[in-house]
Amino acid sequence: MATYQEFIQQNEDRDGVRFSWNLWPSSRLEATRLVVPVSCLFTPLKERPDLPPVQYEPVLCSRANCKAVLNPLCQVDFRAKIWACNFCFQRNPFPPSYAGISEVNQPAELMPQFSTIEYIVQRGPPAPLIFLYVVDTCLEEEDLQALKESLQMSLSLLPPNALVGLITFGRMVQVHELSCEGIAKSYVFRGTKDLTAKQIQEMLGLTKPGAAGQQGRPPAPQDAAASCKFLQPVHRVDMNLTDLLGELQRDPWPVPQGKRPLRSTGVALSVAVGLLEGTYPNTGARVMLFIGGPPTQGPGMVVGDELKTPIRSWHDIQKDNARHLKKATKYYEAMANRSATNGHSIDIYACALDQTGLLEMKCLSNLTGGHIVMGDSFNTSLFKQTFQRVFSKDYNGDFRMAFGGVLDVKTSRELKVCGAIGPCVSLNSKGPCVSENEMGIGGTSQWKVCSLNPSSTLGMYFEVVNQHNAPVPQGGRGVIQFVTQYQHSNTQKRIRVTTVARNWADAQSQIQHIESSFDQEAAAVLMARLGVFRAESEEGPDVLRWLDRQLIRLCQKFGQFNKDDPTSFRLSESLSLYPQFMFHLRRSPFLQVFNNSPDESSYYRHHFVRQDLTQSLIMIQPILYAYSFHGPPEPVLLDSSSILPDRILLMDTFFQLVIYHGETIAQWRKAGYQEMAEYENFKQLLQAPLDDAQEILQTRFPMPRYIDTEHGGSQARFLLSKVNPSQTHNNLYTWGQETGAPILTDDVSLQVFMDHLKKLAVSSSA
Amino acid sequence: MEDMFIKPGNQERGWNDPPQFSYGLQKAHGPQRNLLNKRVAPPAASGSGAPPMTPPSSSPLAPPPMGAAPPPRCPAGPPPGCVATPPPPLGPMRSQGEAPSSQPESEPDVEAVLSVLDKALTACRQTVKEQVCNDVGKRLLLLRDSWSSGRLSLSVRRRMDNLSQELQVGHWDSADDIHRSLMVDHVTEVSQWMVGVKRLIAETRKLSPEHLEAFLKPAEPDQDPAEPDQDSAEPDQDPAEPHQDSAEPRQDSAEPRQDPEGLVQDSVSES
Repeated sequence: MATYQEFIQQNEDRDGVRFSWNLWPSSRLEATRLVVPVSCLFTPLKERPDLPPVQYEPVLCSRANCKAVLNPLCQVDFRAKIWACNFCFQRNPFPPSYAGISEVNQPAELMPQFSTIEYIVQRGPPAPLIFLYVVDTCLEEEDLQALKESLQMSLSLLPPNALVGLITFGRMVQVHELSCEGIAKSYVFRGTKDLTAKQIQEMLGLTKPGAAGQQGRPPAPQDAAASCKFLQPVHRVDMNLTDLLGELQRDPWPVPQGKRPLRSTGVALSVAVGLLEGTYPNTGARVMLFIGGPPTQGPGMVVGDELKTPIRSWHDIQKDNARHLKKATKYYEAMANRSATNGHSIDIYACALDQTGLLEMKCLSNLTGGHIVMGDSFNTSLFKQTFQRVFSKDYNGDFRMAFGGVLDVKTSRELKVCGAIGPCVSLNSKGPCVSENEMGIGGTSQWKVCSLNPSSTLGMYFEVVNQHNAPVPQGGRGVIQFVTQYQHSNTQKRIRVTTVARNWADAQSQIQHIESSFDQEAAAVLMARLGVFRAESEEGPDVLRWLDRQLIRLCQKFGQFNKDDPTSFRLSESLSLYPQFMFHLRRSPFLQVFNNSPDESSYYRHHFVRQDLTQSLIMIQPILYAYSFHGPPEPVLLDSSSILPDRILLMDTFFQLVIYHGETIAQWRKAGYQEMAEYENFKQLLQAPLDDAQEILQTRFPMPRYIDTEHGGSQARFLLSKVNPSQTHNNLYTWGQETGAPILTDDVSLQVFMDHLKKLAVSSSA
Repeated sequence: MEDMFIKPGNQERGWNDPPQFSYGLQKAHGPQRNLLNKRVAPPAASGSGAPPMTPPSSSPLAPPPMGAAPPPRCPAGPPPGCVATPPPPLGPMRSQGEAPSSQPESEPDVEAVLSVLDKALTACRQTVKEQVCNDVGKRLLLLRDSWSSGRLSLSVRRRMDNLSQELQVGHWDSADDIHRSLMVDHVTEVSQWMVGVKRLIAETRKLSPEHLEAFLKPAEPDQDPAEPDQDSAEPDQDPAEPHQDSAEPRQDSAEPRQDPEGLVQDSVSES
């Protein structure tokens, strides 16, 4: 058999799934002793260019509370034309259209290579994609200009039949009517008054004429037609909308000295959500909010307009001194839930140097699968390109964007599902496979993911419920099925079904097998997601203590050691990187708020709980590559000892790409060797990390910051703050200077961390 | 190729702003070639004891070689010039920066480009709503104005030339793609009028064959219609254009657009 590494890779490529354990302990008790739960990272829409969708309906188990989908693991009686459900063991006759099946004539969904399969199904009329731009006009002229251009540009990237709408806001909120001719009209709302969905719909004329016709306005036409005033196909209104955007002015209300502009973000969003709710419920839609500052008035306000009162910091929050925090958060949470119910997602593009209120507003995107992008200005390549990439296309020329996802999880009897962590909300579907024990968003076997892309990844947590000493369950393996229904960007309704199985193992006799089935990368990300999920509600130190505790227990369980002898401690290869991951996770901005604003913390966590394994792991422990004359580029330890004078380092932290030129390299560069013909290879050496960085830059979403620095440069701090400080000013004399760069820090190094870990792991009293 | 370039980010407005990739580069980019995702296990994690990554220098007690920054090793030990160690394998060398317009070919002719677009518009007039056609026509005037007053960069002019040629032979997708590349790479220059070109491409591709014939066919003999006003291409005073100051180029939108404050008063907003 292949090695576990190959097995894991294969499964990820085929099914978009990475399990913490690839052999499952056969009883509840043994499972809890493994510390890391049976869990997986699941990427529902992982790109599969080699997987053509089939054009028929999936066959479902006929038992009402099961409805699992026919899959390659089902037992099939070809003669009787009956299949047995591998979840509930119900025997189901095949539908008439399957009359012709036999051992040699099997439908795709029974073939082992189709453990993941995608169905195109007919459900209702095709729905157009909807993009509703909600634009802050309290921006500096340069920013507004750049944003207007980006929005105009986006009209060229949208499919011609997509519907677009425009809401602008400052002190007032304007909903723009989009028509192909005549005068541009807009409906204006005050930014201070909280309106119900019904009021908004009435005022926009989206409900019955009688109710809406007020103040001498002609009664609004009916439903669908009425909605068309605000949401129109791009191909019909692109010229007028281009002009409308081009003519957008900064908010005309004067901003007195010492004040912030009045920004009615809360009402603007409420209008946007209400508009979509009234016109296109349960149809894929994206509200795209562009803001250049915090909401300063009305419901959802985050900070007052007095500049002398700064926006809340972590310090204020800890001191319970953030006046608007709870109220604003509650306001946006309610809105996020409404939006999620309707299947609409909300993106936030926040470009400002100060905070914009992402802490309060993050739920809008986190619960609806929307993006959050944080930049300094709309006139930056970071924003412009990130925004372009929202509209990027796949190998088929379809948007990498799907809507209205519903993920349904089914488990075989020995397993129950505890919860999910990712950009989703619970659909409160209580079924037989739902565990009492919640991890993440639990108490359900169905989640809604309003917006998905090929990298959207959920952490799924399970519980083994088989009793101790009960025999290893029938069939020898447990099965999990993920059924994802969604609206494809080409407007088709599709269902992707992934069915995976793993063998049960007796944890007493086969613990070594279980250990070698450990996927430490997946486990690190899954545990980190649990930690980050906790960090949203608990104090930082508690989360760290919990993570430490889990790590110590894992090391006690799987380390080899003599009691009370730390030097004897060993970990097998399948766990060798795990403590290091935890060490870097503890230092990461996902768990440490020091040096980050509340908005930044929200931003980092937002991305951490939705990216796939590779990207998540980069966030936990950045990648460090070294370029030198001593050989090809190679990965090196994320450690101060890797910072050598004759190396160029490339560090990828996901949010930042850092190119660091060692001292000697920097001197050579300064001396201009790269320009001399005889040092062509130096030129190439300088170029190599740039090329690799470009590769990353061309695919990463959102665009990372890009830092080109050198030994002694002020920006070298980005590297120095991430590497393990194995050499510091404290132990400089011990190690000498030749071997790396000392870091001026009192932070604990990996070595000290490991020493403590070993001591605790081998301690008989622990 | 001039549509394959990388330009630096806006460092003035954005802290460590990343470089910007042109549409062509982004689109040409396939799957990442060499994934940098490898890590090394620290010796400490699996091994015994605590020694950090590198062995301590021989005499731990000797004073550290502080500040002995080696002199710039220019004469003696600069990077070995093309010898001994092979240079590290590179990512593919890419043309860096704004590719200096490599082929100083013929300057695209504004009249040639516009005659194609105008002809397309004429073909559309038979089926497409007049108001739309007028709107497109207005934007073509804007294009002419920008071009002849020298406000379009060479890259834009070249790509417009390509676009018109693709349009002329009925390569709608390719023309549309050029339009998109111009919107992404040069939005500031083209945003006002490009939407008209975009609509023109969309409407032309919808035309029935017989209407289309009128557009596509005479396109082959090419240049003739451009002849009469050949010389108006270069000089920038274009008699046809009413407005000369480039500051407010979007003035000609005829619709009376209320200013925001006006709207506040007579809008539906309750109270």
